Amino acid sequence: MKLLEACALTHTYPGSVHALDGLNLSIERGQRLAILGANGSGKTTLLLHLNGTLRPQSGQVLLEGRPGGYDSASLIAWRRRVGLVLQNADDQLFAASVAEDVSFGPLNLGLDEAQTRARVDSALRALHVHELAERPTHMLSSGQKKRVAIAGLVAMQPEILLLDEPTAGLDHQGTEDLLAVLAELEASNTTLVFSTHDVELAYRFADQIALFSDGRTLAQGSTVQVLSDRELLRAAGLEAPLLLKLGLRARELGILAAHEPLPRSAAEALTLLKVTV
Amino acid sequence: MSLIDTSANCNRWRRRSLAEKALLALGMLAIAVGVPSWQGAVLVAIVMSGATLVGARVSPALWWKTMTAPLGFLLIGVITLALQFDGMHVSLAPNGLPLAGRLAARAVAGVTCLLFLALTTPATDLIGGLRRIGVPAEIAELALLIYRFLFLLTDTAAAMHAAQAARLGQITYRRHMRSLGLLIANLMPRAFSRAKALETGLAARGWKGELRVLSPVRRASVTAIATIIAVELLIVLIGLRTS
Repeated sequence: MKLLEACALTHTYPGSVHALDGLNLSIERGQRLAILGANGSGKTTLLLHLNGTLRPQSGQVLLEGRPGGYDSASLIAWRRRVGLVLQNADDQLFAASVAEDVSFGPLNLGLDEAQTRARVDSALRALHVHELAERPTHMLSSGQKKRVAIAGLVAMQPEILLLDEPTAGLDHQGTEDLLAVLAELEASNTTLVFSTHDVELAYRFADQIALFSDGRTLAQGSTVQVLSDRELLRAAGLEAPLLLKLGLRARELGILAAHEPLPRSAAEALTLLKVTV
Repeated sequence: MSLIDTSANCNRWRRRSLAEKALLALGMLAIAVGVPSWQGAVLVAIVMSGATLVGARVSPALWWKTMTAPLGFLLIGVITLALQFDGMHVSLAPNGLPLAGRLAARAVAGVTCLLFLALTTPATDLIGGLRRIGVPAEIAELALLIYRFLFLLTDTAAAMHAAQAARLGQITYRRHMRSLGLLIANLMPRAFSRAKALETGLAARGWKGELRVLSPVRRASVTAIATIIAVELLIVLIGLRTS
């Protein structure tokens, strides 16, 4: 059963070209999906449709096969199941302290004080920002802000978490920490969908990729399958990730047997080198 | 601004309840203004400086820095009280010095009370307190958002200013004024797009028109309240005795 589906979505911003141009996408439960595309390919516009913020000019968004409604009761039910984390964490954090900000979502779900406290506590722990609970939101680093912004949605326990460019602006350690907590979240049955223009990140972290260009899905399939198709990537204005190129070349040269897995990290690629030397 | 905010969030008494801090600061302020003798005001200034520096461990350098601005105003006011101007002649006013001294004592005491509150209490706690004493939710929410966006807006303005300076935007007075105008004009649409993005972010978390959050509970300690009241009564008594 498809958890969330976009069917032939179109959206045009006033005075510009099509942001979405008959776009199709499907998300299955437990998948880790990367929405991969160059800047301006319509990734953010799509995410805003997937939680009902924007209403498609034509086409529809289906939640478990049923079209999502745009009245306020349906939107609340929709957003309870589909959480969206904006690219800029500062656009999301409004309260003065971390714990207060994270309590906003659960309170809107109508939970009482004790339940809200428990949700805030577990969300802050899940994102490893528990020690920052009483810190004012403007006294956090970008990496911390990002994780607090995500905690604000995790506290609502959505089935799907949509993340717009989650690693944008983060340094190496910030990115590593974030990916680690996201992997932990997935273990607690949250389906992760993230947009990115970074092929290396998509290759490393996603198991499915939807490749975007000019408001359309060029392909949706397994990570290796999509990223091995040079023609497709060129059409999207992207290039295959270095690690994948390395792995495929190793297979051609017979260094890596066809049944063995391709290297997904620098460490795995280095081991491959060691074998040959 | 941001130094005061840092101190409010990082001092030793940050987690003490607002009730204790407000009782101490506002009670002492009332004494400084209301008790007839000036000796009472001097005691208030000593106790409140002690509470800020020794109790809450606010950095003395920062405390002094925030004191200087109000002290400057005070100095000007006191000088005009102490002196009298008679045409071209300037002389000490009759009874001017004692009068100026008494006023200065009360004013300094008042400043130490307000600074204590500002340097030890996060704005969040103050806004939470407003809510609890029955200020309408709309006003409290507005105060919260202004507080939050003040920092974003000053950061943006600082970044734009640096970008202008890097391209020699402030090289002459004329250029400077022009750059400043551009900066202000550009902050406006940015503030609007920020507000719109915030609305999207809040809607994603089920916003229904009310910014309800759960504030941490800080219980006032009975001993602290009793001590504060005792010290305040003592100062009132001394103040009445010496008058």
